[in-house]
Amino acid sequence: MRVYVDEDVCQGHTLCFMTAPEVFGLRDEDGHGFVKLTDFTPAQLDDARRAQLTCPEQAIVIEE
Amino acid sequence: MWEAGFGEEASATFVAGYTSQTKGDTVGEKIVVEFDQHSKEYTEHGMQIAAEIRSKCPVTWVENYGGHWLVTALDEASAFYKRPDLFSAVKDVTDPEGPWQGIQIPNSSPFVQSGFLEMDPPNQLEYRRILNAHLSPAAVIKWEPLIREFTNACINDVIADGRADFVEEIVNIVPAILTLAMIGLPLKDWEVYCEPAHAGIYTPPESPDRPRVDQMSMDMMANLVGAIAAARESSRPGMLQALIEAEVGGQALTDTDIMFVLFLVVGGGFDTTTALTSNAWRWLAENPSERTRLAGGDSGLWDTATEEFLRFFTPAQGDARTVTQDCEVAGYEFKQYDRILISFAIPNRDPKYFEDPDTIHLDRFPNRHAAFGLGNHRCIGSNLARMQFKGIMQECLKRIPEYEIDYDGLERYETIGVINGNKTMPFTFPAGAPTGPGLEETIVKWQKILDDEAAATA
Repeated sequence: MRVYVDEDVCQGHTLCFMTAPEVFGLRDEDGHGFVKLTDFTPAQLDDARRAQLTCPEQAIVIEE
Repeated sequence: MWEAGFGEEASATFVAGYTSQTKGDTVGEKIVVEFDQHSKEYTEHGMQIAAEIRSKCPVTWVENYGGHWLVTALDEASAFYKRPDLFSAVKDVTDPEGPWQGIQIPNSSPFVQSGFLEMDPPNQLEYRRILNAHLSPAAVIKWEPLIREFTNACINDVIADGRADFVEEIVNIVPAILTLAMIGLPLKDWEVYCEPAHAGIYTPPESPDRPRVDQMSMDMMANLVGAIAAARESSRPGMLQALIEAEVGGQALTDTDIMFVLFLVVGGGFDTTTALTSNAWRWLAENPSERTRLAGGDSGLWDTATEEFLRFFTPAQGDARTVTQDCEVAGYEFKQYDRILISFAIPNRDPKYFEDPDTIHLDRFPNRHAAFGLGNHRCIGSNLARMQFKGIMQECLKRIPEYEIDYDGLERYETIGVINGNKTMPFTFPAGAPTGPGLEETIVKWQKILDDEAAATA
């Protein structure tokens, strides 16, 4: 299981953080998203999937 | 109100059989449609016209303004905006007749580049880095008190009248003052920038008012030239100082480089938020139960509602690109120097991604709208825009929970092809009492706060 934000695709829309603040953080310098966690509870994984759905750039990758 | 009033006249005209065009592995027709984003028809029922066009083909050809492609679906808009190497934003102000016509169709200001919005990587990304430090989510939080205080100051000036113009007396003012504060310009100068920043967008080139608007733009430019010269001599924190100290491609920026960026910041900072807030204010007047729901809503509802207003009203309706080389992308073939209008507003109604797309659902989720653009040009001020929208709307709804729009005085932009804005929006409400100082006094107060801050960091 791996969840990450593809840095080449992310443009800093910040919707991942708005949707799942426990899972995603935003870099101070440009607001681009990153994944804060390495281990996920089922609820956190659900949140990550919801964030993936709402990402305008489709930058969130979830490898099961 | 927005959904109503479209009938037979709203249908799009299709002129098939123009030339062959490849879609996937089938050779079809390049579908030619009649479409004009600057027309009255577009203002009144552009989304219905566009839906019909999209249902035929997501990428069509339009003959007007010298001929250009029109993109109406989210998949294609996303695919094209992610290829700045093939779809260039560049405007070459040294060659106004050349192929590099920038992000507007038609190119109505061939001698003024909209800063790095009309550049490609890598320079565009270097410029972004300079301003990111001022516009990141972490950086914008410090401006929230200013936004709320100035919103209340504007309300204090009008609340006893029971009548005001939402655009001219509130949402033209707050974003203007915020933008000047962030650049590092005197707040009292907001009026020098305010009218040209809006009128420059909504006044068509052939309008009799255009010479007056152009003169105001010249005054604004003269003001900026003076401000840049002054800022080179002194030092106060803000975007202007950051631009003076920065290098792009290993070179310091010239006054012209800086002026073009400030034009972009003023345009992006003033007009878009005004458009979003005024359209939302009107919708909330027409949907009183949703108004009550939002006014009492938690931060989660405000988050989704903000995204939904952005999707539905899409302040910046779309940008153009120039094709850099013959290419095939997402199954469509393009020729070098083709112009292409890639809408944000129309893909934001794409039924593939938005259920019931022509209705506002304040709790819509997911909502992967393109209102801030897609790809490397994503609106650099998006974090500020969201915070400002919420700040202004929350303070206004708190002070004026009941109101009605005066439709006789309501004027939308003459063209909404660039910005979906309102020129005036009078509204009436039960008169109340001011709770604090008005605009003039608040400008003096905040100027002192900012001056003291500048002195402390000098």
